[in-house]
Amino acid sequence: MKKIRIGIIGAGRMGRIHTQNLLKMQEVEVKAIADPRVEDTKKWASSFGITDIRSDWNSILDDPEIDAVVVTAPTRFHFEVIKAAATKGKHIFTEKPLSHDLESAKKLLHFLEGKNVKIQVGFNRRFDHNYRKVKDLIASGKIGEIHIIKTTTRDPDLPDIEFVKNSGGIFFDFFIHDFDYIRFITNSEVEEVYAGGSVFWDPKMQEVGDYDTAFVNLKMKSGTLGIINASRKAVYGYDQRVEVFGSKGNILTSNDRETNVEVRTKDGVITDKPLQDFQHRYIDSFLEELHDFVKCIIEDKMPSAKPKDGYEAILIAEAAKISTQFNKPVLINNLR
Amino acid sequence: MINVISKVRVGIIGAGRIGKIHTENILKEIPEAEIVSIADVDLNKTKEWAGNLGVKKIFADPKEVINDPKIDVIIICSPTNTHSDLIIESAKSGKHIFCEKPIDFNLNRIKAALKVVEESGVKLQIGFNRRFDHNFKKIHQLVESGQLGNVHIINITSRDPDLPSMEYLKNSGGIFMDMTIHDFDMARYLANSEVDEIYSVGSVLIDSRVKEIGDYDTAISILKFKNGATCIIDNSRKAVYGYDQRVEVFGSKGSAMTYNDTPTNVIVSNENAVCMDKPLYFFLERYKASFVQEMKDFINCVIRDEKPIVSGIDGFKAVIIASSASKSAKERKSIKIEEEIL
Repeated sequence: MKKIRIGIIGAGRMGRIHTQNLLKMQEVEVKAIADPRVEDTKKWASSFGITDIRSDWNSILDDPEIDAVVVTAPTRFHFEVIKAAATKGKHIFTEKPLSHDLESAKKLLHFLEGKNVKIQVGFNRRFDHNYRKVKDLIASGKIGEIHIIKTTTRDPDLPDIEFVKNSGGIFFDFFIHDFDYIRFITNSEVEEVYAGGSVFWDPKMQEVGDYDTAFVNLKMKSGTLGIINASRKAVYGYDQRVEVFGSKGNILTSNDRETNVEVRTKDGVITDKPLQDFQHRYIDSFLEELHDFVKCIIEDKMPSAKPKDGYEAILIAEAAKISTQFNKPVLINNLR
Repeated sequence: MINVISKVRVGIIGAGRIGKIHTENILKEIPEAEIVSIADVDLNKTKEWAGNLGVKKIFADPKEVINDPKIDVIIICSPTNTHSDLIIESAKSGKHIFCEKPIDFNLNRIKAALKVVEESGVKLQIGFNRRFDHNFKKIHQLVESGQLGNVHIINITSRDPDLPSMEYLKNSGGIFMDMTIHDFDMARYLANSEVDEIYSVGSVLIDSRVKEIGDYDTAISILKFKNGATCIIDNSRKAVYGYDQRVEVFGSKGSAMTYNDTPTNVIVSNENAVCMDKPLYFFLERYKASFVQEMKDFINCVIRDEKPIVSGIDGFKAVIIASSASKSAKERKSIKIEEEIL
C-alpha cells in the first residue's frame, strides 16, 4: 500500500512531538517540514533522516506529492494555513485551538464546509487511556444519566509571559481541552457559561489581562452541570483529573505517576508525584490521535474531533472571557 | 461560672432525629454533663424513648425546660422556624445555648436573636459538626499551619445518598439553606477569609417534583473569597453509592485531599475487578464522631468559660451565603455578599 505522505508546518514543541510520532507509523512518510528556523530544524530533523526542510509553508501545500499536513504553526497562522491547505486538497491535522479568535474560527468553519478533505483538531484528551475509558463507561450507560462533571487541570509551572501574551488567554489556551472533553462525553452542547479568575503568582499576568487561577462553570442543554478548576502552577506537578457523577454512580480518574511505589516511614506514606508535564502525561494520546487521523484518511472515516468541535470549544472560551469581563453568565447562543 | 465539680446540667428542646443523637451522645460519651429534661410536642413518644435512657422529666412546653433554674445549657433541635424565639428565651433566662443549623431562614430574626445572646453574655454554638470531623479538621490544621501556602482553590463535593421526602423538602428552605449550608461553613472554615461574592446554578435531574416546589436536586456553587481564593461546591441529593463527602484545598505550596470514610478498608480483587467498600451510608454514620466531638467541645467551653469554635456569627454568615445562593440561582447572576453589621 502506498504510504501517506505528510508535511509538517511548524517545527516547534508540538510539531516535533507529532513528527516523532509519525515516524513510528508504517503507513506514513514524513516528506517535508516547513519552519522559518531552517537551520535549527535541519539540525534536529536530520537525525531522523528527514532532509527536506523549507522556510515557506506554501511550498508544502503546493507539493503534489504531499497528501496531508500537520499544522503546528503558531495559532495566529492557523486560519490562513488551514484555508489554503483545504483549498489545495490536503488532509489536515491541526493543533488546537482551531483559530485565534471566534470570528476567524466561524469564517474558517464555513469555509471548510463541503471541502472533501479530512480535518482533525488536536484534542488529544479524547485519545488518552483514562479519559477514553471514562467516555466509554458513560457511553455504555454504566453510570446512567450525567448530572455533574468536574475537571481539574493544573500546570506544573507558569509559562513565559511572552507565551501568555500570545496564547489568547487562559480560557483559549488552557481550558479549551476541558471544554471539548465535556462536550465529547456528554454528547450535549453548552447552554450557559460563567467564569472567573484570580492572579496569585505573577502580577504581570494581570498586566496582560490574564489569570493564573480560574474556574469555568458550564450548564449544558441537558441540565448537566460542569465545573472546571485550573491553575497555572501546581508545585507537585501536572494535575489532570476528571470526575463524572451520574444517576447510577460516579467515575473518578487519578493522576498517572512514574511508578506506583509507596515509601512508608515514621513521617508518613509517600508516593510519586503526578507525571511532571503534558509531554509525559499525554505522550501516548498524541500518538493515538495522530494514528487515528491517518486511519481516517486510509479508511475514509470522519475524524473524532472535527472543525465544528474546534469551533464550539472556541465559542465556549469566548463566552468564558466575556463572562469574566462582565461578571455574568453568558448564553452561548447569543454569540453564535 | 459553673462549679467544676458539679455536672453541666442540660435541657433538650426537640427530640427528633438530631435531638436524640445529641441526648444519647451526652449520656454515653460526656460524663461532664447530665440531661435534666427534654421538651417535645410529641410527649408520649418522647417519654417512651427517654424513659429507657433514664431521663424522667419530659415536657411538651419548651418553657418548662428554659425556665428551670437547675439547667445551665439548652440544646435546640426543634424545627428551624422555632430557633430564634427559643434562643432569645434561653438567653434571657441566662442559659448557654447549642442550636442546630440553620439558625433561622430570616436574617432579621437571626440578628435579633444574636443581639439578645450578646447582651445576656451567654455562650452560643451552632451545629456545624463538620468542623469537628477528623478529616476536615486535619485539612484545616494544614491550612492554618501554612503547609499548603496561600489557599487558591477549594473543591468541596457533598452528595447525599438519597432524595428526602417531598414533605421534608418543602419545609427545608431549599437545597442551599438545607444542604449546602454545611459546605458554606466548611468553605469559610478552610479559606481563612470571608466570602465576597457567590454564584450558584441548579438543575432538577433526579425527580421532577423538586422543580414543582421551586427547588433543585443538583447544584454547583462558586464562592469568591476576599483573598482571591475560589471555592467550588458540587451537590447532589442522590448519589447511589452513598454519602459522598470530600474536600480538596489547593494552595501555593501544595494540595490536601480527603477521601470518603468507609465501613472497612477491605479490598476485594477478583476476575472482574478490584472492589472496595462504598462510603459510609449517610451523615449519622459518617459524622457520628463529629457529633460527639462538637458537643464535648461545647460542654468544655461552658466549663472553662471559653469561646465556642462555631459562633452565632458563623451561623448567621452561613445563612447569608445560603440565601444569596438561592437568589443567585433564581436570578441567574452573581451576588455580592452584603456586609451585614450586627
